[in-house]
Amino acid sequence: MSDYILQMKNISKTFPGVKALDNVQLEVKKGEVHALIGENGAGKSTLIKILAGIHQPDPGAEFYFEGKDAEIKKPIDATLKGVSIIYQDLSLFPNLSVAENIYIGRDSGKKAWKKVNWKNIKRISEKALKELEVDVDINTKVEQLSIAQQQLIEIARAMAFESKLIVMDEPTSSLSSSEVEKLYRVVDKLSAQGISIIFISHKLKELFRLSDRFTVLRDGKYVGSYDVDTIDEAKLVNLMVGREVTYEKNQSQVKTGEVIFEVRDFSKSGNFKDISFQLREGEVLGITGLVGAGRTELAQSIFGINKKDQGSLEIHGEPVDIRSSEDAVKKGVAYVPEARQTQGLVLDQSIINNISLPVIDKLNNKFKFIDRKIEVEMAQQYIKSLDVRPSLPELPASKLSGGNQQKVVIGKWLSAQPKILIIDEPTNGIDIGAKTEIHKLLRRLANEGIGVIMISSELPEVLAVSDRILVMRNGKISGEMDVNQATQEKIMNYALGGNGKQHESVVIEKEKVSQEV
Amino acid sequence: MKSLFKQKEFSILAIVLLISSILTFVSPVFLTVGNLLDLIEGNVVIGILAIGMTLIIITSDIDVSVAAVTTAVAVSISYLFGFLPDSWISVLLLFLFAPVIGLVMGLFNGLLVSKIEIPAIVVTLGTLNIIAGLVLYITNGNYVNSTSFPQSFLSFSNIEILGIPILIYLLAIVAVGTWFILKHTLIGRSVLAIGGNTQSSVRVGINYQRVKLFVFAYMGFLAGIAAIAQTAYTKAVDPNGMIGLELTVIAAVVLGGANIHGGRGSIHGTLLGVLLLAIMQNGMILARIDTYWQNVVTGAIIVIAVSYDQISYKRSQDKLANIEVEA
Repeated sequence: MSDYILQMKNISKTFPGVKALDNVQLEVKKGEVHALIGENGAGKSTLIKILAGIHQPDPGAEFYFEGKDAEIKKPIDATLKGVSIIYQDLSLFPNLSVAENIYIGRDSGKKAWKKVNWKNIKRISEKALKELEVDVDINTKVEQLSIAQQQLIEIARAMAFESKLIVMDEPTSSLSSSEVEKLYRVVDKLSAQGISIIFISHKLKELFRLSDRFTVLRDGKYVGSYDVDTIDEAKLVNLMVGREVTYEKNQSQVKTGEVIFEVRDFSKSGNFKDISFQLREGEVLGITGLVGAGRTELAQSIFGINKKDQGSLEIHGEPVDIRSSEDAVKKGVAYVPEARQTQGLVLDQSIINNISLPVIDKLNNKFKFIDRKIEVEMAQQYIKSLDVRPSLPELPASKLSGGNQQKVVIGKWLSAQPKILIIDEPTNGIDIGAKTEIHKLLRRLANEGIGVIMISSELPEVLAVSDRILVMRNGKISGEMDVNQATQEKIMNYALGGNGKQHESVVIEKEKVSQEV
Repeated sequence: MKSLFKQKEFSILAIVLLISSILTFVSPVFLTVGNLLDLIEGNVVIGILAIGMTLIIITSDIDVSVAAVTTAVAVSISYLFGFLPDSWISVLLLFLFAPVIGLVMGLFNGLLVSKIEIPAIVVTLGTLNIIAGLVLYITNGNYVNSTSFPQSFLSFSNIEILGIPILIYLLAIVAVGTWFILKHTLIGRSVLAIGGNTQSSVRVGINYQRVKLFVFAYMGFLAGIAAIAQTAYTKAVDPNGMIGLELTVIAAVVLGGANIHGGRGSIHGTLLGVLLLAIMQNGMILARIDTYWQNVVTGAIIVIAVSYDQISYKRSQDKLANIEVEA
């Protein structure tokens, strides 16, 4: 018998245009709690989806369960091997009862007309809940439960399956501190029963509290696996961020120009709280932090599509009221969303039509028809200045590479002549060469006088482009620094609440928040 | 008991009772066994179709081709009458052939929706037009009346057991059978599961394509049975007689508490929805309200019911979202 419940080797995964995983491995021993750690986009989720049978790895991948060769082609294969996965967004059926949610999936693959055995469902679900010491009526519909209870239902489902390996993807991200403690006890209990657990989390303190071993991923590559007593938080942060691809850090002087944009006391319950900052002329402000820290929600509130509870804005010293994206565009604020394909472009339309979209009502000729000549000229000007390749104005946007699509999206907003450009994860899913181009472009726009706010999870990018950096955590600004004082480790510490002292204050803060709401 | 009152079906029942008591005062004819049996028998076809539609709406899809499919099967039945001998065996054979013809058309819809993943509204709009066009081409729009029907079929349609017409028993069998499928079989539970959360169902290994195929095929199967009921009830086959009926069917399901976003719906709710529409129609006739106004009132009630549904859905979503970020 092997010591390992699971061994995954040579795991690569190529998505169109992006190599999400490059020769990664993961080995989990029986009964251990194994932390899988890495920055946003390091490839943790992709790896888990391959283990779950939702994604297929590139050829050459090897799986071993309990030392034996195995294949996972679809979700049921993983289930039958005793693997249960608890996704961050959970896999429950809100309209079904607790009992059914626990039982569901056990009959998958059986005859469609098979009669459901309600007695059996009741027995199995009650047993699983009893083992977990969860006191919930099995006839309750899941939609009536709290998130913490729902999570326990998922764990009960895994136990009802007699799973040998349970993957928990950021299980504590939406729990209050008392619920988190309860979950820790459940994890301890499961591992005492010999069940292995892969625990994914950004909270270093909880990983050190729970885990026996760590596997670190970075940029889709395997960094290493470490026993808990051979590693500390500082080293771990270093392994997570120390990457091979680095950009040159922005060397510009601190900008002392006029304040062109000011955000004051922005709050939205559950999203972010008390956010205030200024943007100076010629400056790129980088906003970073973990996914879920409230960055995108903040940007969308500034842009008027996520209604804020309170707060005010000033552009060039004048108070402005933005209540919708239409207001924002009128006042000169542009927002380039992260999902550029679905939210930023009309993929089937030509480059010209995409670029002219925000200003189409201003391109009228004297008969109030759109003047195609002006439109083409304007688009060509942006294609040239942004260096969109291939420079074929009639080409549908869908035929362009990710980097060039992003240029078109930027061109589209530039045609509206914004004063402030907010850009969310500008180089997500774009290859390295094109990333540098986008970085240069953002710097150039700032130098030309547009205020640029860049949201990014990629620390080298934040350092390469920004003049000043805001770090968000749990909906608040946890750190602000000029780029010449910033390092990746420093930012990561602010984002994670890294060292021990700071973490104490986070726990208190979090308790305060949960009391407030 | 408390949960009983909370159920959506309960509020529909309350409305049904309320309208019934008003109608009892307005017209002494309303609350008579004869009127009620007529009312139910006249809605058997809508009831059978609505039961099939319930499963489709639970999976968050829709089928607008049901009336066309039912008409096509009814026309096929009138041709079958020419080949089958006039005997009881033929009536039994009809119950074999008609559902199978419907099933084939339902499978066609289902394959396009589940395998090629075309939105159901587009697929069924297409098949609605194809089938309706073919029916008119084949029949020239001609009405077939009972003189060409075999005597055995006519006596079948006149059967009454304990004073209740045979078609009402047919509806009851379909209702109980479908309830059993939905509540007690794996495929039935999968219908509810994929309606509740498609992504979760993929993660727990439910083959949602197969489930979608099933609901459309089953809809076709029931359309075949509905075609027999329609032929027996009207004692005629009218190629133009059911145009637009799919809207009434969908309206009944939605009134019966099924959620247009999927995941929720029940057979007893749908039957109450059919009943509600039926007594409103009946009541307005008894109260001598102009036919045009009947359509306006029915339409308004549907819009109000769906708006109510959508608003409460949005509220519950907002509440859920809040819980997630607050914690």
